[in-house]
Amino acid sequence: MPNLLEVRDLSKRFTSAGGPFRKARSMHAVNGVSFDLPEGRVIGVVGESGCGKSTLARLILRLIEPSSGTVAFDGDDLLAKSPSQMRKLRARMQMVFQDPYSAIDPRYTLTRAVAEPFEVQGVKPARPMAEEVAELLEMVGLNPGLASSYPHQISGGQKQRVGIARALALRPSLLVLDEPTASLDVSVQAQIIGLLEDLRTELGLTYLFISHDLSLVKYFCDEILVMYLGRVVEALPDTAAPARHPYTRTLMESTFEPDPKKRRLIAPLEGEVPSPFDLPPGCAFADRCPQASALCRTETPALSSETGHAVACHHPL
Amino acid sequence: MKVSSMTARTLDTFARMSIGRAFASGIGMVAGGFLILLVLVAIFAPWIAPFDYAAQNLMNANAPPGWPHLLGTDEFGRDVLSRVIFGARTSLSVSATAIAISMAAGMTLGAAAGYFGGVFERAVMTVVDLTWSFPDILIALIFVAIIGPGLTSTTFAIAIAYLAQFTRLTRAQIVRLKRETFIEATINLGAKPSHILLRHLMPNAIAPVIVVGMLAIGDGIVLEATLGFFGLGAQPPTPSWGAMMSSGTAQLFLSPWVIIFPGVAVAVTVIAVNLFGDELIRALDIRDRLRGA
Amino acid sequence: MLSVRDLGVAFGAVEPLSGVSFSVDKGETIGIVGESGSGKSLTAMSVMGLLPLIGGRITGGRIVFDGQDLTSLPERAYRKLRGGRIGLITQNPMTSLDPLQKIGPQVDDVARLHLGMNANEARARTEEILGTLRIPEPALICDRYPHQMSGGMKQRIVIAMALAADPDVLIADEPTTALDVTVQAQIIRLLDDLVKQRDLALVLITHDMSVVAQTCDKVVVMYAGRAVEYGPVETIFDRPRHPYTQALIACIPRGLDDTARLTGIEGTVPTVINYPKGCPFHPRCTRAEAICATDPPDFSVEGDSAAACHFAEVADAQSA
Ligand SMILES: Nc1ncnc2c1ncn2[C@@H]1O[C@H](COP(=O)(O)OP(=O)(O)OP(=O)(O)O)[C@@H](O)[C@H]1O
Ligand SMILES: Nc1ncnc2c1ncn2[C@@H]1O[C@H](COP(=O)(O)OP(=O)(O)OP(=O)(O)O)[C@@H](O)[C@H]1O
Ligand code: SF4
Ligand code: SF4
Ligand SMILES: [Mg+2]
Ligand SMILES: [Mg+2]
Repeated sequence: MPNLLEVRDLSKRFTSAGGPFRKARSMHAVNGVSFDLPEGRVIGVVGESGCGKSTLARLILRLIEPSSGTVAFDGDDLLAKSPSQMRKLRARMQMVFQDPYSAIDPRYTLTRAVAEPFEVQGVKPARPMAEEVAELLEMVGLNPGLASSYPHQISGGQKQRVGIARALALRPSLLVLDEPTASLDVSVQAQIIGLLEDLRTELGLTYLFISHDLSLVKYFCDEILVMYLGRVVEALPDTAAPARHPYTRTLMESTFEPDPKKRRLIAPLEGEVPSPFDLPPGCAFADRCPQASALCRTETPALSSETGHAVACHHPL
Repeated sequence: MKVSSMTARTLDTFARMSIGRAFASGIGMVAGGFLILLVLVAIFAPWIAPFDYAAQNLMNANAPPGWPHLLGTDEFGRDVLSRVIFGARTSLSVSATAIAISMAAGMTLGAAAGYFGGVFERAVMTVVDLTWSFPDILIALIFVAIIGPGLTSTTFAIAIAYLAQFTRLTRAQIVRLKRETFIEATINLGAKPSHILLRHLMPNAIAPVIVVGMLAIGDGIVLEATLGFFGLGAQPPTPSWGAMMSSGTAQLFLSPWVIIFPGVAVAVTVIAVNLFGDELIRALDIRDRLRGA
Repeated sequence: MLSVRDLGVAFGAVEPLSGVSFSVDKGETIGIVGESGSGKSLTAMSVMGLLPLIGGRITGGRIVFDGQDLTSLPERAYRKLRGGRIGLITQNPMTSLDPLQKIGPQVDDVARLHLGMNANEARARTEEILGTLRIPEPALICDRYPHQMSGGMKQRIVIAMALAADPDVLIADEPTTALDVTVQAQIIRLLDDLVKQRDLALVLITHDMSVVAQTCDKVVVMYAGRAVEYGPVETIFDRPRHPYTQALIACIPRGLDDTARLTGIEGTVPTVINYPKGCPFHPRCTRAEAICATDPPDFSVEGDSAAACHFAEVADAQSA
């Protein structure tokens, strides 16, 4: 399969403005991330809060400009596109947002919200708009009778479905899912995940699935990228691959099985997550890593796949 | 379409506008009712006023309230009631026009500054903050002093005095809204800046601006009356509440009704506007959004 | 140690909680699970006697702690109990911490108030507790302000405050929801150790079934303000009897060893203003029949588990 997305050495640095009493500080929210997303596959990005998952999503869709690195979509360099070329291209790469509660304009009815992609792109659907909207709502499992409701009249799960309908309206090839179920109840989360699975096979979509929930990512994805403080520390080629990075192992051991017969011994973890504003030299995980050596505190390990699948660690497991 | 769902939608829209809800409380109803009445009086002044506001009758000057001059007459024997009624016309139309101009200009400037940011925003906000730091009356006086007295210059003076307020408020709204996910989501659909600004940002920013505009009409009336009082506003014989009070000061003790009734008109109107504005803020639940502007 | 029988709570005319029962003993952890709005926090508030604070009142049932009925306890007596023999840990540590005061004095206050210790004794105790919670350099931490610490560290301080008075029962309302998984695991481990070492009775409120599976001995499943199923953790996960529990468990992604597709539960979680009549789950239940829409089901007891469903025996028959 050709690569739909090729990300190379992508970085984003945020600088907080200095003031009379503060000095300007800067941090790498995303730091040298590279990966390929072949057509039709689902890659998961997993990591803890603030590790740069949403920033990565925004960079890939060019909703923010990277500090360095490149993104190629379908073989085309995204960063070379003019604003108007970029607007056209957006029809093919869509995103479902982390917070369904604020992802729809509160003054828009569902009809208007779902019809907006066509309006914005100047595309006339093959059938009358009302039919198209009803069809889209049905596709995401919403009763078309809700079409004239406002966002505040529907539940969080329903809002997220509207977000998915909007994203799918223009038949994109790539769908970036930024924690699409993080703010939803489990029973609703399962509905949405089931829906996304169906849509994927039905429409042949390619997903980039972002989540902090390792068991969800394992359930949903083909490959997994593990992020820690802006960097990809391990790229698991399939969901059964054993962890080679100590952080990945910690993450796996911290994720409980929903089965009382499989209780874990939780190994104590020393140290704190360092502030992204002043990362220590060397490996960012060194303070919490049981394997850490002197080398780890001086030299940042690069992502390398010499001895197995890609991992960024001096002493992989 | 089904009637029930259409009715539901209309009701829903009404509830969202919430102007209706401002009338729900007792205070809102009284204040709102008074304002509606006042607007009607201003519109239908020629039919309501018992006398010609300009007709002089020196034989009957300074007549106390009674029949047929319910609120008495002034030093030229003109009917005070008729002049107060026509004065409502002047005060309301000048203030409303001025605020409408100010709002339109302030919203455009504020929205552009908030949306585009950068140097443009800094330039606009520097000028606006400068005028913001002076009292409204001072700005208006300076302006009238430059352009010359009259209703047109009064209108523009008031418009300029309130420009900063609308610009700041609109900018604050836009900056806040720009961070909402639905804006990012719409950009991600491939929307042009004009679509974002006109279809999403402005419609969501407008409610608090309208409420502040509504409240500003009250202040505008006071400002218009003040300019009129100093003889810088409406020129005789056009009746205006401020000018009437100014001419009334000469006979403050001889015929106090000449100054009292226009004064009461200003006071009651301003109080009504403010009370109704407060109800509106409560009904729209936008108190938080008015802070910082 | 603590037992709740048929608890009901109302705010004015709405009754967001009814028919909640469970009990915990020393050295035992009970999990209260349910989706958002199902009444988990209200249950905790009721036990802590905090309902009057938010304008609610108990409409029925009993809360028995150490042989004493708390529903009729006067506020003065409650104040001694609360934060003393019954400790509370909330989801957001900042609701329990004073941002303007240093950590040390905040924790000291608990021991001084409830155990009548003097300043030195209290500080020694504080440092000891911080040590058992595996906080490095307790003396140093005592001199810090809350904003100088990470979320996981703040949550540990809150746990320390709850422990300072040497409680018998600890109620933890979503103590790890705001935390990252690695930090969550540490806090869970900590709570687990405490239950064993100090012989605590722990009421763990959460919406995360995996956390329940990892730590609890018994489970109460709540739905729309009611306890719908109650039993030992193995029973709840392996042989759930209530259709809601069954569906809820089917909603959890199980990674590799589960290939079944997730479907979720049709429909939406009801809110307090539209709690359905009869069985609250009937609009979403695949097994519902006419009676479910009209008659609220009683608990059907089977062994040491109970399910509020008219047709719980069907599940019994299936698992038999
Ligand atoms: N616009 C911005 N300006 C400055 N800093 C930012 C900005 N956006 C994100 N950050 C910072 O970048 C880091 C990564 O943020 P990001 O939102 O990508 O994390 P995340 O992995 O998505 O976290 P979460 O799981 O909480 O959503 C954070 O430390 C955040 O504070
Ligand atoms: N002060 C209050 N007045 C009226 N109703 C209330 C009040 N507090 C809570 N409720 C209602 O009681 C119900 C249960 O709320 P509770 O906070 O116990 O839910 P929960 O299970 O803790 O949910 P979550 O997982 O979101 O914390 C909700 O439907 C809520 O609307
Ligand atoms: S590089 Fe060193 S510190 Fe970092 S994860 Fe590997 S062993 Fe641990
Ligand atoms: S009582 Fe009826 S509706 Fe309720 S759970 Fe049982 S079968 Fe379903
Ligand atoms: Mg994020
Ligand atoms: Mg709660």
